[in-house]
Amino acid sequence: MRPILLQGHERALTQIRYNRDGDIIFSTAKDQHICAWFAHNGERLGTYHGHQGALWTVDVDPTSTIIASGAADNTVRLWDIKSGKCLKVWNFDTAVKRVEFNEDGSRLLAVTEKRMGFLGTIVVLAITLDAEAEQSDERVMTISCEESKATVAGWSYMSKYIIAGHEDGSVSQYDAKTGEALDNVQVHELDMLITDLQWSQDRTYFITACKDKTAKLINARNLEVLKTYVADTPLNSASITPKKDFVILGGGQAAMDVTTTAARQGKFEARFYHKIFEEEIGRVRGHFGPLNTVAANPNGKGYASGGEDGYVRVHQFDKAYFDFTYEVERQARQQQQTAI
Amino acid sequence: EDADRGASADLAVVEHRRRLLQEWLSWRVSIEEEVKEEREARGLPLDPLAEILNIADEGEDQVIE
Repeated sequence: MRPILLQGHERALTQIRYNRDGDIIFSTAKDQHICAWFAHNGERLGTYHGHQGALWTVDVDPTSTIIASGAADNTVRLWDIKSGKCLKVWNFDTAVKRVEFNEDGSRLLAVTEKRMGFLGTIVVLAITLDAEAEQSDERVMTISCEESKATVAGWSYMSKYIIAGHEDGSVSQYDAKTGEALDNVQVHELDMLITDLQWSQDRTYFITACKDKTAKLINARNLEVLKTYVADTPLNSASITPKKDFVILGGGQAAMDVTTTAARQGKFEARFYHKIFEEEIGRVRGHFGPLNTVAANPNGKGYASGGEDGYVRVHQFDKAYFDFTYEVERQARQQQQTAI
Repeated sequence: EDADRGASADLAVVEHRRRLLQEWLSWRVSIEEEVKEEREARGLPLDPLAEILNIADEGEDQVIE
């Protein structure tokens, strides 16, 4: 599994996203521009310039027409993927830490940072999926996080709920139409920051990564914790692989934060766990610093990781990956086939 | 005897996995059914992207869990 190394950022990576078809990768870093890459060969498709601060987040709409980004310059921007043109700028009071389109690309949510005098918020914007269209200034809805600021958030199936992960290790479920807080569950250790939230393909469940060294698979409908993946290092990111029942976790401690001189200092590896059995099944090395972001390709054929070291590594899964099957899985599949 | 004990421990692990897999698969069946009914009840298309992407329903986009 020889990875492709993408060199286009000079600073730490913050987020990686694939488009729906899995042929384009978008990456953001603290160096103020967004990069787009062809997933199969790592060739750079383009860069998007305009932000005046570290970029924290990027997402691509389901039709691969526009991307949205959020940054330390307190703005959310929309970009035409093809031309690289900035289509829209929304200004906020504080940095924007996460953006995400809903399942049909008609809405975008933005998570804003908490700062003296400003609560952390989740803002919903209406989007027209057309690079030529005039985008609305209006905030459709603003959810204020009074208890603990949101660090990550996303849209469930049917855009029914907005789910947020918080600084205090809890997750919240909001009515995505009214903004009403429906539920809040302390799924991770108290006051351990949730660093990532990524969806299953049908958005009925999601995975959270946390500084408490665990990742959790959670039912979006009732916030029930379905699975727990235990790692040995603080986690920055987690992703669910399509096709195979695996999850990928990324994390690691920066050298300055490591107090002990362990043999595997920092542990800068992507970890693969079996999604259903919760067992670790493999690790992939390569980065020279913590993994800040991991993303499974929606086509199921690979994944990408972005590190504190400024690199994106794109991996294509090999035959061994697809062949790896537990005996009980094989038996269940056989039974299914005979039943048909 | 040791080998037997080992074998029964393995058996317990395998049985545990079998149960986890069964639980997971039955949850997937129930949640998929539930979401489908809810989409129908609200008059939403089963595939939220069918309209904007103009995909003929060829079963191509079915998620295999």
